[in-house]
Amino acid sequence: MDDFFFSLVLAGISVGAVYALVALGLNLTFWTTRALNFGQGSLMMLCAMLTVHLAAQGLALLLAVLGALFIIGGLGIFIERFAVRPALKGAGSMGWVVSTLGFGIFLQGVAAKWFGAQAVAFPDILFSAQDYVSVFGQYVSLQYLVVLLVAVALILLLELFVRKTVWGQAVHAVSLDPELAGVQGIPVRRIILGSFIASSLLAGVAGLLIAQIGGTVDPAFGFDLVLLGFVAAVFGGMGSSVGALVGGLVVGLTSKLVGGYISTAAEHAIAFALLMAMLALRPQGLFGRIEVSKA
Amino acid sequence: MTALRAPLSRIVANPWAQAGLALLLLLGCYGLSSGTVQILSFVLIGIIFAQSINLLTGLAGQISLGHAGFFGIGAYGAGILAKTHGLDVALGVPCAMLLAAAAGWLLSFPAGRVKDVYLAMMTLGFGMIFFEVVREWSGLTGGTMGLPGVPSPTLRTLRILGVKLDGTAYFQLLLAITALVLLLMRNLTQSRIGRAFFAIHTGEVGAGSIGIPPGSTKRLAYALSGALAGLAGGLYAHLVGYLGPESFGLTRSIEVLVMAIVGGLGSIAGQVLSVTLFTFLPERLQVFAEYQFIVYGLILTFSLVVLPRGIGGLLLEPARFIRPRALRAAAALPAALPPAEGGGVLEVTGVTMRFGGLVALNDVSLTLAPGRITALIGPNGSGKSTLVNVISGLYRPSAGRVVFAGHDITGLADHQVAAARVVRTFQDPRLVPHFTVRENLLLGAHRLQRHSALAALLGLPAAIEDEARHLATIEAVMALTNLTEVADRVMATLPYGTRRMAEVGRALLAHPLAVLLDEPAAGLSEAEMERLAQVIRDMKAMGLAILLIEHHMDFLDDLVDDVVVLDSGRVIYRGDIAGMRCDREVIAAYLGTEETVDA
Amino acid sequence: MTTITRRGLGALSVAGAGLAGPWHPARAQAAGTIKLGFTTALTGPFNEFGEGIRRGAELAVGEANRQGGILGRQVELAEVLDDQLVPDRAVQNMRRILDNQEIAGLMCPSGSGPSLAIVDMVVADGRPIINPQAQTPSIIYPDGADKPPRPNVFSVAISNTVEAEKLAIVLAGYRRIGIVHESTGYGVTGAELVKQAVLAQRPDARLTMESYNQRAQDMTAQLVRVQRARAEAMLVIGLGADFAVIRRNMSRLNINLALFGTSGAVTVPYLAGAGDLVVGTKAASYIVLGRRPMPAATRTFVDLYRAAYGTDRWYGPDAANPLISLANTVGSGYDCIGLMMDAIRRAGSTEKGAIIGALNATKDYPGASVASISFTPQQHTALRPEDLGIYQMLKRDDRVVLELLE
Repeated sequence: MDDFFFSLVLAGISVGAVYALVALGLNLTFWTTRALNFGQGSLMMLCAMLTVHLAAQGLALLLAVLGALFIIGGLGIFIERFAVRPALKGAGSMGWVVSTLGFGIFLQGVAAKWFGAQAVAFPDILFSAQDYVSVFGQYVSLQYLVVLLVAVALILLLELFVRKTVWGQAVHAVSLDPELAGVQGIPVRRIILGSFIASSLLAGVAGLLIAQIGGTVDPAFGFDLVLLGFVAAVFGGMGSSVGALVGGLVVGLTSKLVGGYISTAAEHAIAFALLMAMLALRPQGLFGRIEVSKA
Repeated sequence: MTALRAPLSRIVANPWAQAGLALLLLLGCYGLSSGTVQILSFVLIGIIFAQSINLLTGLAGQISLGHAGFFGIGAYGAGILAKTHGLDVALGVPCAMLLAAAAGWLLSFPAGRVKDVYLAMMTLGFGMIFFEVVREWSGLTGGTMGLPGVPSPTLRTLRILGVKLDGTAYFQLLLAITALVLLLMRNLTQSRIGRAFFAIHTGEVGAGSIGIPPGSTKRLAYALSGALAGLAGGLYAHLVGYLGPESFGLTRSIEVLVMAIVGGLGSIAGQVLSVTLFTFLPERLQVFAEYQFIVYGLILTFSLVVLPRGIGGLLLEPARFIRPRALRAAAALPAALPPAEGGGVLEVTGVTMRFGGLVALNDVSLTLAPGRITALIGPNGSGKSTLVNVISGLYRPSAGRVVFAGHDITGLADHQVAAARVVRTFQDPRLVPHFTVRENLLLGAHRLQRHSALAALLGLPAAIEDEARHLATIEAVMALTNLTEVADRVMATLPYGTRRMAEVGRALLAHPLAVLLDEPAAGLSEAEMERLAQVIRDMKAMGLAILLIEHHMDFLDDLVDDVVVLDSGRVIYRGDIAGMRCDREVIAAYLGTEETVDA
Repeated sequence: MTTITRRGLGALSVAGAGLAGPWHPARAQAAGTIKLGFTTALTGPFNEFGEGIRRGAELAVGEANRQGGILGRQVELAEVLDDQLVPDRAVQNMRRILDNQEIAGLMCPSGSGPSLAIVDMVVADGRPIINPQAQTPSIIYPDGADKPPRPNVFSVAISNTVEAEKLAIVLAGYRRIGIVHESTGYGVTGAELVKQAVLAQRPDARLTMESYNQRAQDMTAQLVRVQRARAEAMLVIGLGADFAVIRRNMSRLNINLALFGTSGAVTVPYLAGAGDLVVGTKAASYIVLGRRPMPAATRTFVDLYRAAYGTDRWYGPDAANPLISLANTVGSGYDCIGLMMDAIRRAGSTEKGAIIGALNATKDYPGASVASISFTPQQHTALRPEDLGIYQMLKRDDRVVLELLE
């Protein structure tokens, strides 16, 4: 196979898998509340930052990662309780745009205050940038491979959870009609809270994976990624896990291939062009359900 | 706070107070430092920009995360026209505004297909693509190096129509433009156009049912909003004198949306306060040094917890949507019901409606004659509402025809069906909840209002007279439907029965020849039901063809002329009500269900 | 001193901030001082530059005041405002600074975007301004380098033009060259200038230019395009954190070629993010910090900084060998204010025309970052190609250092 093509594809599906992970996190809260967390990028940043700083306190790297994820999960509760729940009270309002964004900016400020406004080095968690395996004579970076595998494994696990477990069914019921689910005795509040915790954790993992690739993390980290996560989620179809995965991979691959074969200047714009084209032609995305508005 | 609201609202709405404030700023700016004048100029531009979001999101309910795109089109348009082509600012800014309006109009085609989060994403994409284009198209925009030297007071190079303007004079010009924009926005919200935007915002189905076309209304909203954003952008270009792509990125889109939401969507004065606050905030926050982000973030996070309806909702009473002048003019006119006109026959022939494999209607035919009341009954799920949806244009039938007064209306859009004078009501009233009864009823007359958009915006006599005429009709309809007492109460605060009655009244305002009433009596009290029956009889007397979906047999008994019974999508009975009671097939259809024929 | 006051008051005013106006260090002090002002990115993601510049400015002012001030008057930074590198904020801040008629001299914001946004209004105002750091040449020479400069705008920054000339000398050793640059004014003009300079040295050179957006997390497309063009050397024009992403990305793709960076690229985030991978990277930067012994003015500056702030992020951990990037941030701010005060002293006045006249006559001023600064009415940029050195990153005693290649 052509080296050039292969490198682009590998990088494309790797970063695409991270977009998918972010998209899945956005999907989770969209299922339960029809709200998206615009502060998702700050959660990614904070998770990576906390890992760096817990590790700097002498904690073993794995413990540092777990500790950071624990805190990020807790923040998910906070976001649901203080940023999303009050904003959803005004029916039809998009107030959650303001409040989740505000919370993201708040976290960014906190990180800048306590960890400094500059980029700090992120440790290599599993592999370094030089580690590779040879597959059919191709040079395959282990970092890319690990990012891809972790992201895909998490997405499949989540899909399995939603399809096969009672809790998953409950999430499904809440996504269809929260009021009806409440009447049926499903603990709607707890499901919603859970979705925000899980969504935050997914953001945290995505943050760790991408910080791993870039090598540094700073307070403004993550926002661009969330935008691409949005694109992936909408492209694949809001609310569909498979859609998130496919959407992420398509966005990642297309931008790398366009960047490689046409122009690197178009790499970023192409993702948004894809987004607009998809929304104009098939608003529900590749795998989304059409939301029937009952007359 | 509540006690403060009424006096505050009166002051804000008082034209003398408004003129006084404008005059104060107009003359007071001589005493201010040029830095303060410049920040105030940013505030004014921000106000126009926020009104652009307010129009699109607050009024028409279409969220935008890409408004920096329109702002940028206006800014680069004005900048390039003035700098590269030497066009006078007095011509360049309006051209840029038109350009942005055209962009808004074009965007409305794909954007009109999606809503909520999807719309947010679509507009986000628009903004991002605009940003990339500006950066890459360096031949036109200067690319990443930006466009320096745009005529502006800061550079002492601004001339408009040959007159040289310094910072203070430009501020005064901005003040005049902003005042005009605010005035037009106020007029807009109190005009047929603004009310139509709110109707679309509340629900496109409800709006379509009374003849408000969602597509073109949204296109208008996008174009107007684009124009306002373009105006703000053009004025911005001549304020700062330098345009760089970073000024038109996502941050600006988000900033203006935040200002509009915190200000209180739909509230014009709220936007003004919010923009003033947020423009001065970063400057004031500099004292917080490294805490700036934390404080700003906390303000955003909790602003809606503290102020659920924004600053406007906290400080001011909700706005009203009819011009007081039109109301005064209406009081002088006699209250008269719509004139009785002999209507047309509505003929449904062989309509079949399939959803996937499910057949909801199977070869249904019926005829509604003028001056006759036809009841459509049948068990739940028998296809009654589906039939009304087919006739009213919400569903396109899989087969069959709907003809009204000789015109084939099969497959027409809902607003076109309403324009053909076939008007419906819904099981759950689809009214604008924050409108009063009177305002909601006036919405019914929307499709009959003939005055131009310009007349509506400027409040010309043509608009006032037209509105007054319909308001006089509303007076009569409200007397008929027993709504006069609650005329100026907000719909959301009224009991269910009143809302149902209001929806029937609104349908009447549309001057229908045929009405389709979907369970109008459900949830009504005994007294309300009697009133409704009387209204329906009056409608019959006016010569309307009436289709009435109802379960309540007592209600139907001495009201209806014909009965059509549906079961599983098929017509199983057609005739009078006495005959229905002993029809075997009808009885069989109702057995096993909880409802009984003679409840 | 000033720093402590700022912080202290900042903390106090947190409580009553809603009422308090923006805080001016000036207002607390006596009138009659010589007042200077600037806006820069004191907070936000780019404060590495802005905060450094502020520290440099304060060191210069503190030192001058310790020696009795200028023209017998104390000097103070009367307006120091924060723009977070947002052009609109820079414009608003600069307007406010210009409103203060007592301000005698100004300094450009960090970054080309805000500097371009404010420069025309400062020209309209006419007071002297010196650019510490923004690299875009058009800030000084709006109509091209062969046309006259803006009359009141001077620069000690590494200009893209000079840096390009310096880099071209070493890059001309290769025939196929890749340039990967950020999609900003800095990156785009820098890349274009390097291309011209290399072609001037070596007309047969083949250059591939690829752009990326700041903060992109993966640069595979750019890198494989450079690789496919069979480049032997690659130059990165961008900021340190992005350079780290690129270096790691090269490693993942197993791309090995001679790697060069601009002065903006070889900063702390590059060292932190790319770790040992940085070894071998070559870059152009101010030469003085690499010389041993350092010139006297540089030595004084370095000692002043260490005395005030210690061996911190800007200085680096090694007391004897400060980071080269110290010259880029702190040193530039120090030189801007130093030059301005020197001009006021020679002008014997704080009148703008007199100061500009004196600046135009600056001859062999010993700067901290540029060893010898001279301006003429035609020449408003301090930096010459010989003021830059090419450094190579080496590992010594388990620590990465930049060593000057003579």
